[in-house]
Amino acid sequence: MEQPALRKRRNLDVEYTWTGRLFTWSGYILVALFTIFCLVPFWMVLINSFAAEKEIMTNGFQLFPADFSLDAYKMLFKSNQIYSSYFVTIFVTIVGTVLAMLVTSMYAYVLAHRKVKYRNFLSFMTYLTMIFGAGLVGFYITIAIYLDLKDSIWALILPYLLNPFFAFILVAFYRSVPYELNEAATVDGASEYKIFFKIVWPISLPAISTVSLFYALTFWNDFWLSLLFIDNHKLHPLQIMLRQLISNANMKQYVSGAAMDYAQAIPTYGLQMATVCLTIGPIILLYPFVQKFFVKGITIGAVKG
Amino acid sequence: MGFFKEIYRNRSLYTLALPGLLFLVIFAYIPMFGHLIAFKKFNATIGFWNSPWIGFKNFEFFFSSGQWLEVTWNTIFLNSLFIIFGLGLAVVMAILLNEIRLAIVKRFAQSIIFMPYFISWMVVSLMVYALLNTTDGMINQMLKSLGMDAVGWYNNANFWPSILTIVYVWKMAGYYSIIFLASITGISSDYYESARIDGATRFQQIRHITLPLIRPTIIVLALLAVGRIFYGDFAMIYGIIGDNAALFSTTDVIDTFSYRALRQLGDFGMSSSVALYQSIMGVVAIILFNWIIRKVDKDSALF
Repeated sequence: MEQPALRKRRNLDVEYTWTGRLFTWSGYILVALFTIFCLVPFWMVLINSFAAEKEIMTNGFQLFPADFSLDAYKMLFKSNQIYSSYFVTIFVTIVGTVLAMLVTSMYAYVLAHRKVKYRNFLSFMTYLTMIFGAGLVGFYITIAIYLDLKDSIWALILPYLLNPFFAFILVAFYRSVPYELNEAATVDGASEYKIFFKIVWPISLPAISTVSLFYALTFWNDFWLSLLFIDNHKLHPLQIMLRQLISNANMKQYVSGAAMDYAQAIPTYGLQMATVCLTIGPIILLYPFVQKFFVKGITIGAVKG
Repeated sequence: MGFFKEIYRNRSLYTLALPGLLFLVIFAYIPMFGHLIAFKKFNATIGFWNSPWIGFKNFEFFFSSGQWLEVTWNTIFLNSLFIIFGLGLAVVMAILLNEIRLAIVKRFAQSIIFMPYFISWMVVSLMVYALLNTTDGMINQMLKSLGMDAVGWYNNANFWPSILTIVYVWKMAGYYSIIFLASITGISSDYYESARIDGATRFQQIRHITLPLIRPTIIVLALLAVGRIFYGDFAMIYGIIGDNAALFSTTDVIDTFSYRALRQLGDFGMSSSVALYQSIMGVVAIILFNWIIRKVDKDSALF
């Protein structure tokens, strides 16, 4: 008779004892602290992109600058480099993602297709590239010398068209599509192309959109390829423009283009912070809408990969 | 015979795979010949095939300089720090996030923690610079306002393993905590209920239910990272450190070393001997990793 009542009280105890409460609250506080830690750098670049350059020069970067100005943005928008860099980044991201998705989804479909006798060999070939890297020199020579893609925008797109890891995520998804669908379509006389583009592609849309977003993020954030293959400043994507803003001694000329001349001193820090904001701006704005796709992709990749 | 028949029979399917296959050949398999340059005195003007063979000369230079020890150690050491602290903090965050009862708070915190994952290393590099540069960096400003001296972060290599680890945790903890959170959510609530009936505290539940049940996930992620321990994160290290030679002694990894040998010295031979060394060590690490994972959890083994 006594047991159930006792159990019930213990049950309540867990949530309402001192130690229980202490544990819960310290958990909340730790999470809050780490969240703030993650947020501070974002806040810092945002607020300091609006800070007056004089303010940063005298008091350094602050969480709450006292003096604001739009000089950095004004100068950026009057200049040439930000427009050409934006164009390069957007072009590479859109064209790259579309092409990569086409190549990867078709390839993964064949890897997952039961009719294809050599699918395991193809998988192995793909997998091998993940284990044994080609090394920088071979990669560089192939693209810069043999394909002659130096200072070409295609050097920023072509080398990323097939990511084995993303391909295997799609393979796992295609395998879960019932094969009967394929058989029924074949009986109805549909060609393999038709089956893929008209039947498989539409039902794979969730997986395809997830992988596309991963590709888009890769293209948007990459600076490795442009570091290797791009010298012409007209083809500098945003990420390389950022790098130039730190390392280029002749920043004024770089940002504005040779034709412009500024009487006043250029807001160096302001320009850096403003360019950072313009670079991550689109990502942050889209983030609330795309976050769930990434979460899904990561969890699938972790389970299947 | 069988080969051509198969290709012909499924020609439309193989056509679908053709662009991907071409990609692999051009961007993954042909570049592998670049490893041969490690044994050549490469001269771009006379081309790959005409450059003379020189045996192990390129390796001698790399291995005799003592730099190979430094960059190998840095690569392994930094990666180990990233694995331990990156995964460790992600586990803690996932468990704490899971304890949060208010759905809105939980979702908000998770979103913020995940956000740095989306930022390029170049942007991270500017954030670090704004925080740490000697004259105007925020940290030094704070130190000064507390009456302390400014620290020359960018001149002292000893700080950087810790700084890079903190930066890595900042960027990647959210990513890993999503994986752990998914695996915690998969745990049946029956376990917790019966534990609660037996009077287990929250802490005891975490220690005796949550942690043991997400252990396989932790192990797999850790071992996956161990398999790539010879590959430094080029974008991260080069993005943040760049060409700052004062910091090389603790931050120069195999990838950045090989990059500088190629792009700054134009030394194709040394760069590719370093790359070949890395690729071979990488394969060894993977085989070792697979052997270990076979012992721990047979189903997760790769081959």
